[in-house]
Amino acid sequence: MRMFWEFFSFEVRLRCKSISTYIYFLVWFTFYFLCVASESFGPVAYANGKVLLNGPYANTVYATGASLFGIIIIAAIFGTSILRDFQRDTYQILFTKPIPKFAYLGGRWAGSLVVTVFAFSGCLLGEYAGTFAPWADHSRIGPNHLSWYIQPFLSITVVQIFFLGSLFFAVAALSRKIFVVYVQGAALFMIYLIGITVFSATRSLERFWSGIFDPIGFVYLDDITRYWTVVERNRLLLSWSPHVGAGVFLYNRLLWLLIGCLSLVALWALFPMSVEALTAVSQGRRAAKAKKQEELELRPVRTLVAARLPRVNRIFSRSTTWAQFLSLSRLRIYIILHEVPFWAITGLMIVFAINNGYFAGRVADVDVWPVTYLMVQAVEGGATLFLFIVAALYAAELIWRERDVHFDGIHDALPMGETIDWISKLVAIAFVEIVLLFVTMLCGILMQTVAGYYHYELLQYFKELYIVTFPQVMVFALLALFVQTMVSNKFIGHGIVIGVVVIVPILFNFGWENTLYLFGNTPPYTYSDMNGYGHFVPALFWSITYWLAVAALLGVISIAWTRRGAEDGWIARQRLAGSRWPSVLPAAVICLVIGLGSGVWYYYNGHVLNEYLNAKQRRQIQANYERNYKKYENLAQPKVIAVDTRIDIDPAHRSFSGWGHYTLRNKTTQPISEVHITDQMQSVSNIKFDRPFHLVSSGPRDIYSIYALEEPLQPGDALQMTFNVGYQSHGFRDGNEKAELAYNGTFFDSGYFPTIGYDRNIELDDPRRRREVHLGPLEELAPRGDQTQSLYNIFFKQSDWITYHAIVSTSGDQIAIAPGYLQRQWQEGGRNFFEYSMGSTNILDFFAYISARYQVRRERYKGTNLEVYYTPGHEYDIDDMLASSKAGLDYYQANYSPYQFAQFRIMEFPRYRTFAQSFPNTVPYSEGIGFIGRVVKKNDIDITYFVTAHELGHQWWAHQLIGGNVQGSNMMSETLAEYSALMVMEKKYGKDNMHRFLRHELDRYLRGRGTEVRHEPPLALVQREPYVWYQKGGQIMYTLADYIGEDKVDAALHNFLMQYRYANATNSQTTPYPDTRLLEANLRAQAPPELQYLITDGFDSIVLYDNKAVSATVTPTADHKYKVTLVTQARKVKADGNGNETPMPLNDYIEIGVFKGKKDEEQPLYLKKVKLTQEQNTFEIVVDEMPTRAGIDPYNKLVDRIADDNMIDVAH
Amino acid sequence: MAVTISGLSKTYPNGVKALKNVSLSIGNIMFGLLGPNGAGKSTLMRTVATLQDPDSGSVHVDDLDVLARKNEVRKILGYLPQEFGVYPKISAVDMLEHLAVMKGVTSPKERKEMVDALLQQTNLWEVRKKALSTFSGGMKQRFGIAQALLANPRLIIVDEPTAGLDPAERNRFLNLLSSIGREVTVILSTHIVADVRELCPRMAIIANGELLLEGAPADTLAALNGKIWSKVVSSDEELKALESQMHVISTHLIAGQHEVRVYSDSSPGDGFQPVDSELEDVYFFNLSQQANN
Repeated sequence: MRMFWEFFSFEVRLRCKSISTYIYFLVWFTFYFLCVASESFGPVAYANGKVLLNGPYANTVYATGASLFGIIIIAAIFGTSILRDFQRDTYQILFTKPIPKFAYLGGRWAGSLVVTVFAFSGCLLGEYAGTFAPWADHSRIGPNHLSWYIQPFLSITVVQIFFLGSLFFAVAALSRKIFVVYVQGAALFMIYLIGITVFSATRSLERFWSGIFDPIGFVYLDDITRYWTVVERNRLLLSWSPHVGAGVFLYNRLLWLLIGCLSLVALWALFPMSVEALTAVSQGRRAAKAKKQEELELRPVRTLVAARLPRVNRIFSRSTTWAQFLSLSRLRIYIILHEVPFWAITGLMIVFAINNGYFAGRVADVDVWPVTYLMVQAVEGGATLFLFIVAALYAAELIWRERDVHFDGIHDALPMGETIDWISKLVAIAFVEIVLLFVTMLCGILMQTVAGYYHYELLQYFKELYIVTFPQVMVFALLALFVQTMVSNKFIGHGIVIGVVVIVPILFNFGWENTLYLFGNTPPYTYSDMNGYGHFVPALFWSITYWLAVAALLGVISIAWTRRGAEDGWIARQRLAGSRWPSVLPAAVICLVIGLGSGVWYYYNGHVLNEYLNAKQRRQIQANYERNYKKYENLAQPKVIAVDTRIDIDPAHRSFSGWGHYTLRNKTTQPISEVHITDQMQSVSNIKFDRPFHLVSSGPRDIYSIYALEEPLQPGDALQMTFNVGYQSHGFRDGNEKAELAYNGTFFDSGYFPTIGYDRNIELDDPRRRREVHLGPLEELAPRGDQTQSLYNIFFKQSDWITYHAIVSTSGDQIAIAPGYLQRQWQEGGRNFFEYSMGSTNILDFFAYISARYQVRRERYKGTNLEVYYTPGHEYDIDDMLASSKAGLDYYQANYSPYQFAQFRIMEFPRYRTFAQSFPNTVPYSEGIGFIGRVVKKNDIDITYFVTAHELGHQWWAHQLIGGNVQGSNMMSETLAEYSALMVMEKKYGKDNMHRFLRHELDRYLRGRGTEVRHEPPLALVQREPYVWYQKGGQIMYTLADYIGEDKVDAALHNFLMQYRYANATNSQTTPYPDTRLLEANLRAQAPPELQYLITDGFDSIVLYDNKAVSATVTPTADHKYKVTLVTQARKVKADGNGNETPMPLNDYIEIGVFKGKKDEEQPLYLKKVKLTQEQNTFEIVVDEMPTRAGIDPYNKLVDRIADDNMIDVAH
Repeated sequence: MAVTISGLSKTYPNGVKALKNVSLSIGNIMFGLLGPNGAGKSTLMRTVATLQDPDSGSVHVDDLDVLARKNEVRKILGYLPQEFGVYPKISAVDMLEHLAVMKGVTSPKERKEMVDALLQQTNLWEVRKKALSTFSGGMKQRFGIAQALLANPRLIIVDEPTAGLDPAERNRFLNLLSSIGREVTVILSTHIVADVRELCPRMAIIANGELLLEGAPADTLAALNGKIWSKVVSSDEELKALESQMHVISTHLIAGQHEVRVYSDSSPGDGFQPVDSELEDVYFFNLSQQANN
């Protein structure tokens, strides 16, 4: 024991003297300090604005993060502690003494454990210190609870240190190879990341076993907490109980503790405590080597008489310099290519790229064709990290190689310039990167082939990899070369380079967004099949040029400062640099001129031609708007009743201009003497009215202007308003390019037009951001039945229904589209003109202008013109879209009401924005979510079909029936469009496919609750919560149709629609817009009394079930049938907006089912809705065939937080 | 080719005075530089080999100012540092090829002849395709010699070239060096007196950064003629006594007994025999003189 103590305290003392221990501690301290002290940093701060930064959930996330990123630290401390003796050959001395194995191994191990725990305690202390930062957001910092710190630290961090530490320690002790020790941590880290990406890409909902076998914890963390509401996140820790979350956490921790123990046992059993055994292998090798050398030396010696050496000519000319340069480059490349680490990195990179490439065709759970932009994005995404690692690594290796191998004495005395030597290092890196990029491209092509996609766009690969990425990697390589040249130690150099990489995104988050000072930064860009690199090219080109020039200047400086000769002292190097300056000065000046030139040009474009605002400044504009003009929100204003526009789109200049004409009518009962106009996009000018007026005031940026009419507008009277509208793009911006304007694929909407009155959509809605600018909580929508707000619709306060006419022109090669029927089409001055009109048909005040080079597929279906405007090459989904349109038209016309238009058009737009949006008879549809879809397996979800049906559904839900400006109205467009689409989809794909789809929708709803930043409303009171109006709404309506009958629900919708469509269309505003109370009433009218509770639960509160199959056994009956005894559990709770749950009495119809077939392919033998009133129920069911599965609510029709325990295997 | 070193001084940042006002003039010959470890030999050689700048003083090769025009010097230089390593994974022949290119041998044919000849001469022919990193110490040293002689350098600076060579290889090397030619200046540093004796028409001794002696070995020997006395002493006490009384320049063990060599103009006393002076006596005499000063 004394010996144990000896080794233990030696280890601890040694580590206490080592600076690295304190660096580890400090890294953790700083990181977690910032996690709490800054809202722009860390995993929790950035995610959900209501979760406490020092709460139990936050601590659990921090501890899990430390488990992942700490791998390398754990490996470093444990691995080296045992290896030290073998590296320094002290083992020869140690093991000739009588040391007990326990003392030696145990002491070293325990010492490392204590030191590692100390280093990781930086997490806790940093976090604790962060809670006192005066600048932090203290509304997100709760009181510090000791148990919230200690429990995650002990059960996650310390267990992790024990398990990984023991494993690494054992591997190091048994292998005794420095390479293994250094690589095992990094390898595990990488393998884990690969595993996680593969796992998440499989879109599996299976969480039990994957959670238990997860060695780090992200899977079980997500598994257990994914549905946690804010209240739970601020109250619950991961529980040790085997009954919470199926005990995944407990079993996981026990499993890995066990693995840790097994590693130690294995070490104990296998570690030999004798020098002979320890060195047997290496001694053998050494002996063999010595023998071989001896043989070589003992070869017959040649004559001792020296022959004269031949004479050679030495020529030092330009071509010699070139030859020297080539020879140096070749030598450096040769050495890199002959080293194991390079191939290890390449191998890992290939694994990553192939893995990412395999999933390239899956975007958001849906199969699509792996077109080149997706594939290149996937494989490049997998490779980028490696490209940068290689650059940093080899910059250091190449700069230090001569010194590391002590060849510098010979090398530095060679007759060559520093320049060629230095450039040969750059060339070696460039060569390696070019090879890696080529490998990346091959991976992409391979994976496209594997996926059965053969349209390889080599030019696009080339552009992305070699023109965009390669220079950026080289900028980074130049930085690394520069740093390594200047610093006195390779590892300090690595630290500085990593520091630069880490600091850039941090600065960006803190509002330092300028490309010109964030090292190596380029503005974001998106490739689009429609628009190529489009308008991103100039900004990319100039920023890359700028950074290449800056980096090249660093390169030139490093050439001047190159170490040469025996003296490394600063003064000596300065003297050398001074003597070299004259020769490198021209190059420096050229770099400087290019850098300054491109930088000035970039600045001129990004800051002078275009206004530059960072995210915070943009939010400030929103905040000021609310602060200054909110008071006018309820001021009586006239409403728009007719819109006439003339728009000229100039795609080549990403501009448009034109004019608009509004007819406004005073629908109120009092005269109106002021017209208020919001111009959010700063795109409106020259506003005029058809009577005398004057401008009263105009806010900053003319975002809000007040016009006084000399003669007030009397109730019922109309006012004509004209204005110019337009937007001119100038040069390029430093990021934040307008996605609406593109060379090919212009799509902008009525947002560019003046808005009458105050527009509450401009208000900041993230509470975190509101606190930042000192605004109070966001004002909620008015309650249902509010008399004033019911006179406005939920989307457009300035109007009810309008008539619409437009003339739109574009360049000669493009088609321009606006809502309405094409009246006329002509050419003039090489431009295409189109006149669209809605005639007398009323539409919502929601229109858009679209222009691109389109191919058009037209079809006439039962009196409706169907048109799809698409980019050549994107033919994959056209048939699907048309089929969905037809099915939708049939279903909606049969069940809801006639279609109000004679056409339905879909047009593709670039994937800078990824949505589809329903304008009157016009649906712009992003190439990012459609047009390249593919349905391969029968389980695949046909998202194109669904989205098309959803958008078509909006032609009824929104464009015919729209709710008032009150709580809940959003669901009457989105939820009902969702329901409509589900019904259309079910007709084609059947109930099984729907089940799958809804499981994912349920998952999204439950996750959405967890990220709620305000409070979750019931469906009927929804305000700004997409996860409620899409995912929950769809599920509730689908289940309702299942319970009371699809025909009943459709009848209710039909009645509701016919009663309230085109509400408030008259001039007198006598028919207010409907709200969800009226929808509910219609549904209730169709539902039988015993199922009314479904509507109450689904619409008016937040109800969650916890249904579970406890056991199921089968016994054969006498008449050759099978009797299943099924025990189930059913619980029901009601949650408030924050997630506080209260139990509800059970009085519900829940489905009980018995199935045959494998898991996930079950076919019902028995399925019945049974009224349950108690928690535990036992059923005895006799079926004809041998059953395999049984359960309660097997199809997850009810909102259930643990959806996968509803069914169970039937035991025999 | 003449190397003129004048007034060379160098003090390292840690305060070590490596060279103190050293002046030397070296003609077209093989020049031996003798001195103990840390004497400043390597500093001096690195300075001539363009790898280091002195604090003061100058070095000229003929009319070429070494400190100002390093690259011109490098074009005629062959340098073997005292300690050096090699790149991993690369073979001797590839590395010599590369170095030949670097040294301006632009004709591939000449390059090959030169490299092959050197590999033969340094007895590395058989292992020329083996990775340098697998070489033993002696083989590595021979490779170092080969690269220093590559491309007919006119100024060869070899720092401790015979260290690590077995006697046969050392002889081969010395033969090779002496056969190089007349127009070449070779500066050879060593702490093995025999190297200088066998090879160098002229030599210098430096210690503690100071030049103690410069001349032809024969002349320096002549100066000590008849002034070296030897005695075998049997005990340490006696040795101590002698040390305090006389100018002892060296002691050797011969079969367990100390042979003491003493410098004295006349017989220092009982038991001392006059002996022929050797170059080693010159070396130790100069060192001990400096120590006494």
